[in-house]
Amino acid sequence: MIELKNVVKVFGRRTAVEDLTLTVPPGSIYGLLGHNGAGKSTAIGMMLGQVWPTHGEVRVGGYEVTAHRQQALQRVGAIFEAPVFYDYLSGWRNLEILSHYTGPTSPARIREVIDWVGLTGREKGKVRTYSHGMRTRLALAQALLPDPNLLILDEPGDGLDPEGIHELRLTILRLNRELGLTILLSSHLLNEVEQLCTGIAVLNQGRKVFEGPLTGIRSDRHWLRLRTGDFAAAVRELRQAGLITDARDERLIELAPAAGPEQVVRRLVELGMAVYEIAPEEPTLEHFYLSLMKDSRVKPPGLL
Amino acid sequence: MLLLQLRNELQKLFGKPRTYIGFGALLGAQVLIVLVFRYSHASRGMVRQLETNGYDPTQYLTSLTIATIMLFPIAYVLLPLYVTLIGGDLVAKEAEDGTLRMILSRPISRFRLLLVKWLAGVIFSTLLVAMLGVIGVGFASCFFPWGGLFVFIPGEMFSVLDASQGLWHYAGAHVFLAVKAATVLSLAFMFSCFNMKPAAATILALSVTFVSFVLMQIPFFKDLQPWFFTYYLNIWQNLLIQPVPWWKVAQSLCVLAGFNLTFLIIGFTAFHVRDIKS
Repeated sequence: MIELKNVVKVFGRRTAVEDLTLTVPPGSIYGLLGHNGAGKSTAIGMMLGQVWPTHGEVRVGGYEVTAHRQQALQRVGAIFEAPVFYDYLSGWRNLEILSHYTGPTSPARIREVIDWVGLTGREKGKVRTYSHGMRTRLALAQALLPDPNLLILDEPGDGLDPEGIHELRLTILRLNRELGLTILLSSHLLNEVEQLCTGIAVLNQGRKVFEGPLTGIRSDRHWLRLRTGDFAAAVRELRQAGLITDARDERLIELAPAAGPEQVVRRLVELGMAVYEIAPEEPTLEHFYLSLMKDSRVKPPGLL
Repeated sequence: MLLLQLRNELQKLFGKPRTYIGFGALLGAQVLIVLVFRYSHASRGMVRQLETNGYDPTQYLTSLTIATIMLFPIAYVLLPLYVTLIGGDLVAKEAEDGTLRMILSRPISRFRLLLVKWLAGVIFSTLLVAMLGVIGVGFASCFFPWGGLFVFIPGEMFSVLDASQGLWHYAGAHVFLAVKAATVLSLAFMFSCFNMKPAAATILALSVTFVSFVLMQIPFFKDLQPWFFTYYLNIWQNLLIQPVPWWKVAQSLCVLAGFNLTFLIIGFTAFHVRDIKS
């Protein structure tokens, strides 16, 4: 659905995106991660023909965006962080105006979309009277009007309260499952990405440092969470006993190949150490992301 | 589709309260000028000029004459101010607010978007000038009788016309005043297409217009007047002269068409190569 091939974007002396190659498969919910200034919005801008790539090829729906922007965006909807509208006009009128940049849109279609996002009854009110959550719904409505098959969401959860974030998550899942939309989601909310996305790409300083399915973040290394009275002393003893190979974060241990958790517990109890908890540690996207950022800081450029 | 997009653009433009600042200010200026003429001795010089030249002042101290006199300060100062305010906003304000990014996530070409915006700006300028003409003569009619038109600019213009001829010349002057307004708007629109704040686009356009006008007034530059942008903006004044120097009007129109085209090409090119970011 989206393909970026060796895309480079340079602003003056700053390289915002460096040799980015990315594929968003049809029907997926794809997460684009990275800290502020990592190049996510620039990459999205290039997908929408708003930012011209310095080098490389950007294809959306099979069309090269730079040369065939209009065909490429014919069935694309987009939402940006902090949705802005013509505040002095009604929600309905905003939808009409924005949809007419794609093509003629019937009032029945506008009504259908307003119903879908749950704004019925408020569509004739001026947008300046809308809450942030209602603006996000209106943004979603304008993105859905051209009957898209691809939805690009750039930080859509920004400024939403927990209830709003929950609602947005459910909406994204519905859009993907009920309408079969491919969704590209750029977000800082790692927990949301983890719950929604099937694949992710992580950008750091304009470079892609990871791309793959979310299952790919599951490490080959299996960590156990260990809570004892004195973690450092326990690690020292367990190492001496050859039961663990590694420890980190003052709470995680990695078992030696032949060792089992019951042996760890037995050894610590024999030594008179209290064991409050020992359980497998599921790798989270947050942990994966943070370790990726740490690793990419120490790796020389060019290494993926 | 173009008409639908143009209608939307006009609705966006006329839905904004700031669009009406120009209308309000021009109306205020007209009220003030009419009242000054009615309740002061401001018309004394005009009466003397008419009498000296053998005309009956009561026939020419009319609503048409007062409306035409009002036109000069408004056309030179207020009109450029308010059309640049709108022209500078057309693209830059949408970029500043973030709505431009939302528009450009749609499959509309940048050329078409600018064309629609510029056309909306030209329609605004035309309506502003039309309002200026109709309200001007209408309001002056409340205080002065209907009759002939007298225009006097020392060394440049001395026109004495009967009511029907005067009205025709008055209307014609407004048609070409709309051309002036559209050209100044195009200048501001051009700056608005660059990556800058709306206020900066407005100020730049105003600066170019006023600096050109001021330089043109310096006696040393009299021979260079045809090289100044503002020289051709005064095309509308020619319509108040009897007979109308049509060759001069045609020449100015051609030069202004060239200026408009240049402003649009520069603006369109700048906008086309520009990256639209949050």
